[in-house]
Amino acid sequence: MFVLLRWLVLMLPRGFRGEFGDEILEEVREECRRAEGRGRFAVLRVQWASVVDLAWCAATERWSPSWSDDMSRSSGGGEGMMEWMRDLRLAGRTLRSSPGFAATVIVTLALAIGVNAAIFTVADEVLVDPLRVPDADRLVHLGSSAPGSDLPEEFNSAGEFYVEYSKLDDLFESVATYNWFTATFRTQDRTERVPMSSPSVSLFETLGVEAALGRLPTLEDEGTTAVLSHQAFVDWFGADESVIGRSYQMMGQSRVVVGVMAPGFSFPRDDIVVWAPGEEITAERVRPGRFGLNLAARLRPDVPIEALAPRLNAVARRIPEQYGVSGGYASMLTDQFRAVVRPLADEVFGSVTGPLRILMAAVAIVLLIACANVTNLFLVRAERRRLDYAIRSAIGAGRAALARAQFAEVVLAAVVAGVLAVGIAGTALPALVSMAPAGLPGLAEAKIGLGTVTFTFVLTLVVAALCGAGPTVRTASVQARNAGLAARGGARSTHWGRNGLVVVQTAMAVVLLVGSGLLMRSFQQLRAVDPGYDVEDVFTFQIAVEDEPGMEDGPDFARFHLDFMDRLRALPGVETVGIVENVPLNEGVRSMRFAPADMVDEDAGTQLGQTFAAGDYFEAMGIEVLRGRVFAETDHLENPGYALLSERAAELLFPGQDPIGQRFRWVNEDRVETVVGVVEDVRQSSFREEAEPLVYLPMVGQTPDAWALSSPAYVVKSERARDLAPEIRALAREVAPSAPMYRTFTMEGLAGDSMVALSFALLVIGVASTLALVLGTVGLYGVLSYVVAERAGEIGVRMALGAEAARVRRMVVGRGLRVVVLGVVIGAVAAASASRALGSLLYGVDAIDTPTFLGVITVLLLVGALASYLPARRASSIDPVQTLRAG
Amino acid sequence: MDASDGLSRLEYHVLLAMAEGPRYGYAIREAVEVESGGALVPRAGTLYRVIARMITAGLVVEARAPSDAEPHPGRPRRYYALSADGRTLLAEEARRMIDAGALARRRLGEA
Repeated sequence: MFVLLRWLVLMLPRGFRGEFGDEILEEVREECRRAEGRGRFAVLRVQWASVVDLAWCAATERWSPSWSDDMSRSSGGGEGMMEWMRDLRLAGRTLRSSPGFAATVIVTLALAIGVNAAIFTVADEVLVDPLRVPDADRLVHLGSSAPGSDLPEEFNSAGEFYVEYSKLDDLFESVATYNWFTATFRTQDRTERVPMSSPSVSLFETLGVEAALGRLPTLEDEGTTAVLSHQAFVDWFGADESVIGRSYQMMGQSRVVVGVMAPGFSFPRDDIVVWAPGEEITAERVRPGRFGLNLAARLRPDVPIEALAPRLNAVARRIPEQYGVSGGYASMLTDQFRAVVRPLADEVFGSVTGPLRILMAAVAIVLLIACANVTNLFLVRAERRRLDYAIRSAIGAGRAALARAQFAEVVLAAVVAGVLAVGIAGTALPALVSMAPAGLPGLAEAKIGLGTVTFTFVLTLVVAALCGAGPTVRTASVQARNAGLAARGGARSTHWGRNGLVVVQTAMAVVLLVGSGLLMRSFQQLRAVDPGYDVEDVFTFQIAVEDEPGMEDGPDFARFHLDFMDRLRALPGVETVGIVENVPLNEGVRSMRFAPADMVDEDAGTQLGQTFAAGDYFEAMGIEVLRGRVFAETDHLENPGYALLSERAAELLFPGQDPIGQRFRWVNEDRVETVVGVVEDVRQSSFREEAEPLVYLPMVGQTPDAWALSSPAYVVKSERARDLAPEIRALAREVAPSAPMYRTFTMEGLAGDSMVALSFALLVIGVASTLALVLGTVGLYGVLSYVVAERAGEIGVRMALGAEAARVRRMVVGRGLRVVVLGVVIGAVAAASASRALGSLLYGVDAIDTPTFLGVITVLLLVGALASYLPARRASSIDPVQTLRAG
Repeated sequence: MDASDGLSRLEYHVLLAMAEGPRYGYAIREAVEVESGGALVPRAGTLYRVIARMITAGLVVEARAPSDAEPHPGRPRRYYALSADGRTLLAEEARRMIDAGALARRRLGEA
């Protein structure tokens, strides 16, 4: 790093450098010494900041000099600038005179910088502060786990935890519950299902946000108030402030709007329309053991996140006594409960920000490879032009002048590339945004602006510094040697330098290729998964009728839907129609505890998912009915206590028995169901997750009021799945004019969405690794070509002495492969540890997947052999007589 | 730079850092960082450009190391101090800021 700094100092105008150059280096050294106490990262930061600062000073000091004394006045001031302009003009001429070289360098850099600028633009909006609230680093998610129990690996929290955690004043400034769901929002002239949140009142304090207009809900409101998002304030109410104080229907209740949040605030998703806190959870109101609550907390300033878990575990152990719980739940709390604590931003956005970080790393690697390549090209060129430099230095050009001339070429190429890169980023960005996974906060705002341009400019400077350092130092050292004599013997050290660059390039290409190979295998595996249902030709939508007039009870609700299904079946092209409470890939299911009816122990039973289904749901989705029958229409109206089980649920409840006719009960509820059929397992949340055991109930649900809270999804099997929405909307307006229709998807679309994070990562890493492979190949080819050209004399002598052409070829290819093999080995080791970072993106494939590694290694060795073979063939066709004459 | 130009914030703090006596590069940097409440953290290149500008303008001169300076291994440190002009300009600038501050207070009604 200090070489780079020293070299940047060399770039300062002579007068300024003479006076302050040593001082500057000394100061950077001193700063680094002091930073050492704060770790390696701190030192690195100081060094990089100094590099950027010095690069900036080297440029500005010339345009607007701060130093002038008698000695330097002649070369300082306006003339210093003139000198630079002269250098740049000369560089322009030189580059134009070898257009192939210039184009290769500029295109390489422009692509690499452009891709980085595009990803940066996305990341800048998304990563820097995804929560967009003050002091987000003190916000944590408080979850639960119970290793050794039959509960999921990790689950959220429950009311009693909220109450007890809130008492930990020495740890937390504030604790809050949060959630989101879709519910009906009704104004005089508009009714829609929209994303809403019903957090605790403390959410706003926890996040550290205020209302931009009006006030926030308070505990005294007792769940009668709500605040609007700024977006909704504009879209729904035309930014009319008189909305404050008015009441509207939301979630089936009337709420007074008391405030409007600031633009840009939304939590826990970027499209929440309204926050309507419910009644505060208190120790008296809590029913212990009902998990399903998300908890967030703001730490006190000096509390480290590691300090939390032991304290929270201790809280859990006291809960059984405090809340009078016993049995299985109590022993889980005392023996198995482990609190899960992580930064809130990771919890809410981790699934999207994690992959984005990986992509940033991938394109950064491409940039490094590009820099290595360009450095190599310039080095080779500098070697070729050694005679030119020697002559110029002989007629009086100083070391610095020569170095500057060389550097000017790099700078010019980098700047041209930088300008092109902004264009490339501008072209790539819309494509990138359109392919990115949904739910990235602020993604819509990502556009090429000052931020991108600044980033590109800084990146260009860094690239110029990285690519320019080697060749420039090399050029500057030419003077030290006798150019004529140095032409052959002094080349060894640069060979090693260049070989080293090829090794690094190859290694980085291996890392990227392994990454994209693993993602590609995951993609294949996921495509091959049988989710238990078909996604072709199925249209799904929901319609909210629970607030319609005439909806009084479960049977009313069921009658409406049975009738509406009949109307849908009459539409042209519709094959079958069914209803399900939670459509796969779009919604998860609730989970409850069930036990065989003859098992009386209160803590017995298994955790099973629970949903309802009606009509020809199973047929429409292609879910096989394995045993028994599905529900009849009368089952939905009368609710005779029939249920269907998925295959896994049947195995869990009645292992080794015929489940048909068996009875099972809801643990802690007064209800018993009789099994009438068994159906195929389905992957509910995503193709990645194993099928959950499921209990299907008739449409009216488990309690007399359950229907009012449910929002069933229709599934319509039709070859016209993509075009049905408008017809169905018209049909819905006929029977329920004010009922909003929402969540309209094709199952194919949902399946695509569920793969989008992986497809996006695959695309970016795929592009990155292809670039890496191409650049790496070009680099190897360049180095070997140069070696062959340089050793033409030696090869000529060998051939004159009778060496066979084949042997010469083997020698050159062998030399190339040695470098490649070293790179591949280093790369494979690096990839083995780097591929773990892909973690959650991988599916059905190990991070260290032998076929992928072997495949990548083979590809690179082949490419390496090919890149070496072309120069080798040239070497073996050398005419000995000609080279000897020339030598 | 002309004395009538007014000073940038960084220039002001660099002059202020030397007001107590001769200082060397890193010490100036530290003083600037502390006295600006962490708002200004000049890197080496930027700092020396400011010093160079001040020397050119005659506000700062190179000074002998103070007698109580801690010994430094390697090359001796170079110390910089305010010239008479520099001291006058700094005082003027401080006066100007006090006046401007008082005016702002009156306008904002903070008495």
